[in-house]
Amino acid sequence: MHRVVESVGEDVDEVSEGDVVIPTFMSVCGECADCISKKSNLCSKYPFKICPWMPRYETSRFTDLKGQVLYHFIFVSSFSEYTVVDVCNVTKIDPAVPPNRACLLSCGISTGFGAAWKTAEVEKGSTVAIFGLGSIGLAVAEGARLCGAARIIGVDINPNKFEFGKKFGVTDFVNAANCGSKSVSQVINEMSGGGADYCFECVGLASLVHEAYACCRKGWGKTIVVGVDKPGSKLSLSSFEVLHSGKKLMGSLFGGLKAKTDIPILLARYMNKELQLDEFVTHELQFEDINKAFDLLIEGECLRCVIWMQK
Amino acid sequence: MEEKLSSKAGAKPIRCRAAVSRKPGEPLLIEEIIVAPPMPREARIRIICTSLCYSDITFWRMKEFPGVFPRILGHEAIGVVESVGEDVTELIEGDIVIPTFMPDCRECMDCKSEKSNLCSNFPFKVSPWMPRYESSRFKDLNGETLYHFLSVSSFSEYTVVDVAYLTKIDPGFPPNRACLLSCGVSTGVGAAWKTANVEAGSTVAIFGLGSIGLAVAEGARLCGATRIIGVDVNPDKFEIGKKFGVTDFVSAVNNGGKPVSQVITEMTGGGADYCFECVGQAALVQEAYACCRKGWGKTIVLGVDKPGSQVALPSNAILQSGKILIGSLFGGLKPKSDIPVLLKRYTNKELHLDEFVTHEVGFEDINKAFDLLIEGQCLRCVIWMNKNE
Repeated sequence: MHRVVESVGEDVDEVSEGDVVIPTFMSVCGECADCISKKSNLCSKYPFKICPWMPRYETSRFTDLKGQVLYHFIFVSSFSEYTVVDVCNVTKIDPAVPPNRACLLSCGISTGFGAAWKTAEVEKGSTVAIFGLGSIGLAVAEGARLCGAARIIGVDINPNKFEFGKKFGVTDFVNAANCGSKSVSQVINEMSGGGADYCFECVGLASLVHEAYACCRKGWGKTIVVGVDKPGSKLSLSSFEVLHSGKKLMGSLFGGLKAKTDIPILLARYMNKELQLDEFVTHELQFEDINKAFDLLIEGECLRCVIWMQK
Repeated sequence: MEEKLSSKAGAKPIRCRAAVSRKPGEPLLIEEIIVAPPMPREARIRIICTSLCYSDITFWRMKEFPGVFPRILGHEAIGVVESVGEDVTELIEGDIVIPTFMPDCRECMDCKSEKSNLCSNFPFKVSPWMPRYESSRFKDLNGETLYHFLSVSSFSEYTVVDVAYLTKIDPGFPPNRACLLSCGVSTGVGAAWKTANVEAGSTVAIFGLGSIGLAVAEGARLCGATRIIGVDVNPDKFEIGKKFGVTDFVSAVNNGGKPVSQVITEMTGGGADYCFECVGQAALVQEAYACCRKGWGKTIVLGVDKPGSQVALPSNAILQSGKILIGSLFGGLKPKSDIPVLLKRYTNKELHLDEFVTHEVGFEDINKAFDLLIEGQCLRCVIWMNKNE
């Protein structure tokens, strides 16, 4: 999502009318212990939650023509010609960046790229395994590629994802549906001679997180959870393995990034032709065809489908 | 395999006393046994003293594999090299050594990396055998094989240990202090120092104030943690814990129905920066994870749980909390490099070891050590092999 500020409320100094901004579901208040710390991107003042309201006043800015309240969605609600967003959820950017590229950093690409760059801190020469080659997983691959990973193993049930993945640095492909009697983790352990240095789960299934943990290298391996699972889901790990393997398990929300400082960095890397964004946009539609975007994504036929509000 | 390998020419078996565990959960029997000479890359060690660790008790009680009988238990100890097998250049007769259940071959990728202490040449397992040749060096007087324990087997006047599991130390350290670094204190101090990398000014919560938990406290104290919250079922542990830096105590059982994690989250205003589980119970690991601070909190697992145990964590919490879960075996330490560092810190009076030793007994009273630890009446009970040492 990529917007132009139409107007600002009281006490807003950071942005003014005409500024080009990227809204994010992740807040940055800039003042709390987490925002101030380098070690966390989980703002304490406006913690992440799937909330029907605006974050600060817990009210809605939307009504339909009958006066019925329309709920917000994760502090953004971008499927509208106009929306209202808290300044903590807004990142001002350079207006020169093409909007149908910059908008990707509002969520998906930042999440995947950040997971590799910030959360995992992928080291040069390492081996990475990515479970799920949707936009997030491919963004992880892109991040790992830029970090200098030597081997990027992509796991998916759709073999077409391998060709796609190659554009983002995927070097090996494992078809999760075609491993025969072996588990995916077994296949990856064998092909990597003991496990990948970093395993990313980008689907949102506890069983896949389990697999990712199982083929993460003992001693120093990191398993990073990026996918969103259904509420109430639990991950079950062997206590013995937790103690004896030395593996680390961690989650990555918005790739561990702080929107206001890190989005501009990623945009600059795009403009420098280091970070690839173009290849993520596989379809572009007009606003009135928005439901086609849903169909495409549900059928696994697209990566990112950009919806233009105005022709 | 054993036919091809042999001990050095002239090397003889030794007859000596050992405390043999013949049946699960039953008192050890002091018997004479035969200890074979060391094979290549092994050394035969005369044990000076050994201390009891709860892991000995866990496997002493275990009726199914990896519990095996008859066995020579014990893995926290200090000794003198009596003889070495072929191809041993790093040790000679007379060297003072600390055996460890953790190998340190110094040749594999893990041993060479700063990021791992999990030797690939000798992956950790609770085996009945010597690690390199998978055979035993012990027989009883009937010729029956006695099983090894964690590649150490220190409840014997003499034992045989692979050089990968032996750390040479300077002579002159009091043995009833140095032996503690063979397992428990290294594990706890290392978990805070190496695995968690506790930062100065931080808040730490420790579940279980046995020797391991108290060693974590000691490590956290040395790292400059300002608040060290100890959790235990036994309120006496608070007074004991204060000696090692514990600043706050939370009862594991007396919180009026509130889960411990809630108590800790409230008293810290959001959770501890580091939570250590030092008991070996999945439910406590889950509690520790729950009261670990979001954003940067680390939950470190040290306790040994029963085989088959599973830790369950909510998927949403993993994704959205920013917390890290990690296990710590031998505190993340490499024995051959890190034990000497800790010994130096003891000599410099930075690291406290004295207070861990609450009891000392002669070898013939080894079963008293078991009773004391099972009843929660001791921290470390040191067992002296020889009254005259």
